[in-house]
Amino acid sequence: MVQEFLDGALEDVSAEQVRAHFEACSRCYPHLRFERSFREALARVTRGEGAPTDLKRRVVDLLASAAGHDASGTPEGDG
Amino acid sequence: MTEAPSARAAQEGFQAAKEGFQEEALPYLDAVYRFALRLSGSPDQAADLVQETFLRAFRSWDQYTRGTKAKSWLFTICRNLFLRGRERMLRHDQLIERNMERDDTLPDPVNPVWASVDSADPEGAFFDALVDAEILDAIDALPEEYRAVILLSDLEGLAYQEIADVLGIPVGTVKSRLFRGRRRLQEALYAYAVEMGHIPAGVASRDGG
Repeated sequence: MVQEFLDGALEDVSAEQVRAHFEACSRCYPHLRFERSFREALARVTRGEGAPTDLKRRVVDLLASAAGHDASGTPEGDG
Repeated sequence: MTEAPSARAAQEGFQAAKEGFQEEALPYLDAVYRFALRLSGSPDQAADLVQETFLRAFRSWDQYTRGTKAKSWLFTICRNLFLRGRERMLRHDQLIERNMERDDTLPDPVNPVWASVDSADPEGAFFDALVDAEILDAIDALPEEYRAVILLSDLEGLAYQEIADVLGIPVGTVKSRLFRGRRRLQEALYAYAVEMGHIPAGVASRDGG
């Protein structure tokens, strides 16, 4: 239930009830905190990690030549 | 051969259709790269996967249904390319994966990792002490079926159904693998945190060990 709640997979009403319970219940709240810490650590990992710039350039070039090639079926340089 | 007006119109129409690709699909290049990197474990292989993924996506852009999210669609293409490449060499891994798929049961609701840290670090502050490289290593060490769902859910923010669509498995299996995978990852991170001294070993081992 904690998992689905944190995944945003519960219907609004159930989510609200679960949230209210977990935050009020002294036994359940630490579980929630624990799972949240875990999720936050994972979310942190992706920040700043992206494709190398030269890869982005290569992809754009690749698509540009694919577009030219596929569109006309004739060699580029028509326009 | 000179260009007839209809041919030029067709060419421009083709170009316009492809331009939607720039706004809708290209922004996910970083996300696809991250996913490819975690799947393959190799920046070179990831770069190849990214290029092939976007080329395929670009070529079939006209058939792509705008209703589905471009991000999920790109991940699907990427993962299928990855599997196809690996398939040639590691057929037995697929048998294992097929067996894993039958386990639709959810894990025990009481998280054993949490139970271990209980009084030492009940709120999981040790997760904060871990650096990215440590977390990524632990993710990379997970069995592929767990790693894929965790990547898509917890690193890329896809919903259960979207993950189910990308991986071609039922939602129930997504949840089962996700919850089990997270437990497995927590165990690994916890063990690492103990090793690195973020949790005092004496308090950490509560089984009398």
